[in-house]
Amino acid sequence: MKIAVLVAPAVHPVSGRPCAGEADLAALALAQRLSSQVDVWYAGAADDAALADYLARGADNIHSLSLSPGSDVLAALCSVLQGVDMVLCGARAGGGDGSGLLPYQLAEQLGRALLPDVLDLSKSDQQWQALQALPKGVRRTLAAKLPLVASVHARAASAVGWSYARLQQGKIQRKAATGAALPQVVLEPARRARALVAASKVSGHARMQGAIAGGEGKSAGIVVKQGDSVEKAQVVLDYLRQHQLVDF
Amino acid sequence: MSFSLAHALTGLFWLGALLLLGGLARRASLWQQGRSASVSWLGLLAMPKRYFVDIHHVVAREPAVARAHVAAAGGGVAILLLSALNYGLMLYQGWLDVLLVLMAALMLLGARMMQARRLQAPPRLSQGRWQVLPARLRLFALGSLLAAGLLFAGPQLGMAGQLIAVVALLMLALGGAELALGIGLGWPMKHAVAGLLHLAFHPRAERFAAKSSDLKPLNLAAGELGVAKVEDFAWNRLLSFDACVQCGKCEAACPAYAAGQPLNPKKLIQDMVAAQSRGTDPAYAGNPHPGREAAVMVQPGEDIVGSVLAAETLWSCTTCRACVENCPMLIEHVDTVVNLRRHVTLSRGEVPGKGSEALANLRNTDTVGGYPLAVRYHWAIDLDLPLLQPGEQTEWLLLAGEGAFDMRYQRALRALVKVLKAAGVKVAVLGAAERDCGDVARRLGDEAGFQRLAQANIATLAQYRFARIVTPDPHVFHCLANEYPALGGQFEVWHHSKLLEHLLARRAIPLKADATPLPPLTFHDPCYLGRYNDGYHAPRNVLKGIGIKVVEMPRSGRDARCCGWGGGAAFTDIPGQRRIPDMRMDDIRETGTGRVAVACPNCTAMLEGVVGERADVIELAELVAERLA
Repeated sequence: MKIAVLVAPAVHPVSGRPCAGEADLAALALAQRLSSQVDVWYAGAADDAALADYLARGADNIHSLSLSPGSDVLAALCSVLQGVDMVLCGARAGGGDGSGLLPYQLAEQLGRALLPDVLDLSKSDQQWQALQALPKGVRRTLAAKLPLVASVHARAASAVGWSYARLQQGKIQRKAATGAALPQVVLEPARRARALVAASKVSGHARMQGAIAGGEGKSAGIVVKQGDSVEKAQVVLDYLRQHQLVDF
Repeated sequence: MSFSLAHALTGLFWLGALLLLGGLARRASLWQQGRSASVSWLGLLAMPKRYFVDIHHVVAREPAVARAHVAAAGGGVAILLLSALNYGLMLYQGWLDVLLVLMAALMLLGARMMQARRLQAPPRLSQGRWQVLPARLRLFALGSLLAAGLLFAGPQLGMAGQLIAVVALLMLALGGAELALGIGLGWPMKHAVAGLLHLAFHPRAERFAAKSSDLKPLNLAAGELGVAKVEDFAWNRLLSFDACVQCGKCEAACPAYAAGQPLNPKKLIQDMVAAQSRGTDPAYAGNPHPGREAAVMVQPGEDIVGSVLAAETLWSCTTCRACVENCPMLIEHVDTVVNLRRHVTLSRGEVPGKGSEALANLRNTDTVGGYPLAVRYHWAIDLDLPLLQPGEQTEWLLLAGEGAFDMRYQRALRALVKVLKAAGVKVAVLGAAERDCGDVARRLGDEAGFQRLAQANIATLAQYRFARIVTPDPHVFHCLANEYPALGGQFEVWHHSKLLEHLLARRAIPLKADATPLPPLTFHDPCYLGRYNDGYHAPRNVLKGIGIKVVEMPRSGRDARCCGWGGGAAFTDIPGQRRIPDMRMDDIRETGTGRVAVACPNCTAMLEGVVGERADVIELAELVAERLA
């Protein structure tokens, strides 16, 4: 299986120096775990030194498509990614002005399925199953057939450690490419957010009382003082089942 | 009979000599696995001085053992020389036999003393063949005594005489085997031959001229990336491992070993011996790395780390040099640890714990903690501390180091500036132009990172005009003073303890006049000031100068226990039974002073990080600032 990994230099949040982006590193690590035929691509105007971190952290060879600053990388990347089974990239470039749109645009242009914010990929039957990271630690499984594009979440398992020897051995191959102009950015006035209105105006203490102290209110809870720990746990479990908060 | 006994001795002598030479050739072929090294043959001439002076300095700290060794080794060498003359060269002189009897008696005494010590051997000593060595040496000495005695007594021997002669020959053969075969088979007496050659071709020969504790730079351009396999060691480094006598003084001094981390410096050296001899030497019979098996699997051609040596062992070292300081054979453990780390870091990129994060921070921000360079001197914002501009002149340049980002240590830095100002010292700082000195990078094996930082710092410092550098961080001090010269940076660097001592001696610091005696405290020696730079007196003189009595811990000065930070150990954080700073705090508690003076930002952080009730940790400069008038 041929995998292409797309990387781009990130901007270090403290020093502003170019370094490797966490999500791109995770994509590189995932690709190397899945296949031995991994090509690493970069498109843009960064110099070789800005890509050095990727060499030191596992990329043997980076194909760098040299574009003039400020040009759109989409067309240049699409032209080299046609024959690739799987395209992996970081969900968004680290720092800078990245919009995070590239994976979506790539999937659209290449006519492939996109698995966004992937933590891990595994093969089952003819499909590739992805563990997707959602906010607040929620996980979801997605599946798609090859060829596909997957954007890797920054929290996915990271690449190998930084090695000076790999930095010395790694190569960056520059290839000339033509980039299109970036589409015009349309700025809109910010929409005013609607102020949130509290559902009830009673105090927090009163609401807590309503929730736990019993009484007439519908939302009143139960205070269990009798019984042993198993019985008390049963009450909690019943409550959770009743409100479909657990499914066993 | 005497004729035949003398000839038998001649035969035995030459047989032993041939076996010894054959064994030496075999061992030398093992050393030849290593890389070539530039050594001076003049080292052979310097050997006696190094033996009788440099080694003696270390051995004499244990006088009983030193005396036993003088008797056993002195007697043994004399026996061998006299035998070479009298029997090797077939002179067969009676008066030489008299000398021989005397020397044999001396050796017998020495071997007896060693045997007595072995009866209650401290746990640091190796057992196995080492345990029976004194008995073998006694056998040899007794054999020599009997043989020489018989020969001196005269040619006419009765039946009893002949029997004694046979017994003496047997004793000589049995005991002499230990001497003749030791070097070839890796038996204990290997240490005599390898040890002398090690003295002659020491990998750090400059240590015999003056203090030498700097790590040597790698030639990165030539592709040197540390030691992966036995073949990557210099040949004289392999030789140095064979000098080990397994006395375990390193083991007893090692803070990581005491903390139950998987490092025993003695075993580490023996692991290297096992790797170079491919396991053909007798099995190791000492304490293992804590929590590990003693036996090692040696596969020829494999990387050392991961086969002979676990990576955790390597990363447990705090580079405190307690082992080097205590080694009677002058083996340089820390060089080996760092050389092996360099391979793991530079080639494999496998730095455990927060070590890799620290190295990434150094690459990306030039600070260990990942701070912006511009905030390094924020603590001095109201102190009116001049920022040195290129081309401007100052007498003292203050390098605050990484401690400047630590809110606790900022108090100490403010105190230092206050004292220097009160003393009228013209001091300035670099501000955002100051980068990390590279100490952590280098000890964690990132030689490339160290050289980048060092060269950047040297280039930066070259733009400024200053007479001297002062820093409160012993790691910065050691790097700049001892390790930058190899990369072309020559600076006069003082640790702040030396400057404070100097100012107090000149009465330049206005001190309070009241004579209220200050409560005594104890002083914790930073490794990189003490063992690395012999800076034992300056901080004590400062404390004396402000009228504070120092209650010394049993382990202080040269024997001071590390705080556990050095060598990046605080970052790699290999688990053990205890934490090193907790043990040090126990030492401090034992003094009963309730206060400890420190002279290093890292010792400050480690000792203040001890949980539960602990002594107050006060920086040297803070104590002086308290006494300002």
